[in-house]
Amino acid sequence: MAVNKGPLTPTPLQQEERVSGNLAAGSGVSHNLMNRFIVKHKKSIAILLLFSVLFWLLTIQVKIGRFSILEKPVLAVSGFVERIVTWPFKTTAAIVNGYVFLVGTERENRGLHEEVDRLKVENAAANELLLENERLRDVLNFKNLERPSSISVKVIGKELSPASSTVTINKGSDHGIQKDMAVITAAGVAGKIQSVSSRTAKIILLTDPASTLAVRVQRNREEGLLEGKLVNCALKYVSYYADIQKGDLLVTSGLDGIYPPGLAVGTVVTVTKHEAVAFQTVIVKPAVSFSRLEEALVLRK
Amino acid sequence: MKPRVYVVILLLLLPLQAGLLTPLEINGIKPDLGLAALYIIGLLTGPAEATLAGIGIGLLQDIGSASFLGFTGLTRGLVGLGSGLIGARVLDRSSPLIVVFLALFILIEGMLISLFLQVTYGEVPFFSLLFYRHIPQALYTSILCLFLLRFVNKRGILSLLKRRETGKEL
Repeated sequence: MAVNKGPLTPTPLQQEERVSGNLAAGSGVSHNLMNRFIVKHKKSIAILLLFSVLFWLLTIQVKIGRFSILEKPVLAVSGFVERIVTWPFKTTAAIVNGYVFLVGTERENRGLHEEVDRLKVENAAANELLLENERLRDVLNFKNLERPSSISVKVIGKELSPASSTVTINKGSDHGIQKDMAVITAAGVAGKIQSVSSRTAKIILLTDPASTLAVRVQRNREEGLLEGKLVNCALKYVSYYADIQKGDLLVTSGLDGIYPPGLAVGTVVTVTKHEAVAFQTVIVKPAVSFSRLEEALVLRK
Repeated sequence: MKPRVYVVILLLLLPLQAGLLTPLEINGIKPDLGLAALYIIGLLTGPAEATLAGIGIGLLQDIGSASFLGFTGLTRGLVGLGSGLIGARVLDRSSPLIVVFLALFILIEGMLISLFLQVTYGEVPFFSLLFYRHIPQALYTSILCLFLLRFVNKRGILSLLKRRETGKEL
């Protein structure tokens, strides 16, 4: 039976129009859906975008180093307010400690006098050794050691960031403090200056993960690189065969160009050797107790 | 929350944290005012606003410290999101048990940080950090948050902090 399919069979032109029409309608529907989805979830999308930007920022910094934008103005403002906020507390503490808690002061005074006498004797002997050392260096035509002068500073704030260890001090560029100057206490190395404003500066402590310091073992002169691990430090790149023992004292080697050589840094707490790697894991306890850090000396370059 | 509340928080957070809370330090651990404030913002507002507040507070802490810019912003943003989600579901904001979630968030944040430091710097003392830093910090901050929550839940204070159109986020 012959059937007339004439009007039902589309011409190639009609076919093309129908396909493009369907596509247009289809894309319109999907476009609408997309718009509706974006409008409905705009907050979630914005937050996701923000998180992505932060993550991207992090990956860049891991590769090229930390960005330091807005560091100076934030330090200047926070340092200024910190001074105002801490002033009443520090003054009260000074009054309480200076006038109220005088119990045992006399005994403490006597003890300190005895210690001063003992230290005077030790100092005289050390001076003799120093002079002898300088004479011998002259004889051998060695370069004389330069002793850097220092600026005394007070800690006015301890920042709390979960991933870093920094403190703010009460002096800045007006007092001659510059970036990367070494900061020490009587116990040893505390850290270095990270950023400076006119009247305050920020110290990056040894325990900060971004802090690195060239050290050597005082006993056998083995060298290594000390890195901060937030609660303690770790000595890196120490050969598997190097003789490092628990209780060894680490001193600065001076190779990093920031810290003068011979300053106490910390004591070895644990040594772990893994046969699979060429290095050993050495955990170091810093010589300075950062939770009790109140005063320090900034060494001029 | 009112915009001026955020301005005050951003202006005073770093100095208060660095100066005022230092006398409260016990063995190197002191409460984290930023986290406690963020948790309360989350409970009072909602996930979106708290996430933005978390990112803002975290970025400020990044600028004021030596950590990578955006790192604390990222973790604090996540804490804000979590606390906002809890805030949207919780019925009794005055219950002391509510700070348990904050302690949990601090521990999770601590673990994220350890993971990041492990990837970036290697050989992070994970358990030392957990036992000597994150757990004491979580407990101490939760106690501070409890006091702050009691203060904030007073009617006068709450109306001072929140915007008029309650229920509408951002």
